Amino acid sequence: MSASTPPGPELAPHALRHRRDARRLTAGQLADLRQAITATQAIGDDRGYQYWAGIHGLPLPISCVHHRELFLPWHRAYLYLFEKALQDQVPGVTLPWWDWTHHAGGIPGPYAKRRADGRKNPLFDSPIQPSGRAAPSQTRTTRTPGAPGALPLAGEVEAVLKNHDFFTFQTQLESIHDGVHVWTGGTMGDIATAAYDPLFWAHHSMIDRLWYLWQLRHGAGVPAALLDRALAPFPMTVRDTLHISRLGYDYAASTAAAKGPGHG
Amino acid sequence: MVDRFTSKPIELPGAEHPFARADLLFYGLDHSGASYEAQVFLDPRGVGRDADAEHRAYVGSFYILGHGGCFGDVGHCDIPSRRDAFDLRPAHQLEPALRILTVTEAVRGLVERGIEEAKVTVTARTAGRAANDVLAFETVRLASYA
Repeated sequence: MSASTPPGPELAPHALRHRRDARRLTAGQLADLRQAITATQAIGDDRGYQYWAGIHGLPLPISCVHHRELFLPWHRAYLYLFEKALQDQVPGVTLPWWDWTHHAGGIPGPYAKRRADGRKNPLFDSPIQPSGRAAPSQTRTTRTPGAPGALPLAGEVEAVLKNHDFFTFQTQLESIHDGVHVWTGGTMGDIATAAYDPLFWAHHSMIDRLWYLWQLRHGAGVPAALLDRALAPFPMTVRDTLHISRLGYDYAASTAAAKGPGHG
Repeated sequence: MVDRFTSKPIELPGAEHPFARADLLFYGLDHSGASYEAQVFLDPRGVGRDADAEHRAYVGSFYILGHGGCFGDVGHCDIPSRRDAFDLRPAHQLEPALRILTVTEAVRGLVERGIEEAKVTVTARTAGRAANDVLAFETVRLASYA
């Protein structure tokens, strides 16, 4: 397969998982996500939530790639590996995506309520480890969202998806991405702390999904000169991120399943 | 850093040079401080401080997610002025950013009115209580594509 060819179904692994629209998770899917986040929050080592959030920003070094040519591949690798850390706790769980072009309500329901099912909602906020705070008082994540109508419009996203050139597409998509960070405000409003907010992962799943939709229209499309670039600190190169089916996931608005007859 | 900037006049593509697309490219944008929205205006005379997204010269906006300041020791956030050709480390986190704003219809409208050049005004608006003087960039260029 050439670098410019989108992935074919024949390459899809048998255990392909779906990332779903955060507004359309089933009760079971949402419970799995909450359980996985809670489980990783309880781990203090390099399998835990704080470790993964800290890779993006504080504590130093800040490893994320913004405003440069590896923005989309780096974040695809980041989400992939964080999702693997979640799946180590709850097999099969996936990161949902926040489609902010559906303005109703702004922040999606699963992330918007302080409590859920009679318990603290781990998607509403998160502790911030002492070394991850931009200010000593910043012990937990916060949000100061704008008006829902100020989020990006579907037409704006469509205009960006029409770009044929990867760099122009990526630069314009990053500006939209930055706008949603600014819209969410609080912890999400600065690179140094953004990834501690559980909403960060849903926002970036949306960005990753839009890159995937662009790939389906225009091919893999990443310049050859970038393909062997490393995505530090991850054990992956740009080439490794091109085909999401090889990474074991796909994007679906929603999924539902029923058991078959079995082989007995 | 400033909160607002108006460029010198930039030449517009003449009516004899039809184009399919026009972009404003902002080179060398600083992103070390607070996050912000940059509202962009294109007008022969520039626009006043009170111009907002309702203004007739408004052509769109771009966003910058900022680093929110420096968290290292002295010199940590200084971008190296020289780079060894054999240095395989990633670029410095604060290497300047590029933003591309597509302004095709706005430029077409100015050209159809017989306007030959226009000034670009950029106004930065931060969220929350952060100061708005976060705007710094090297160049703005208008590119038209046939």
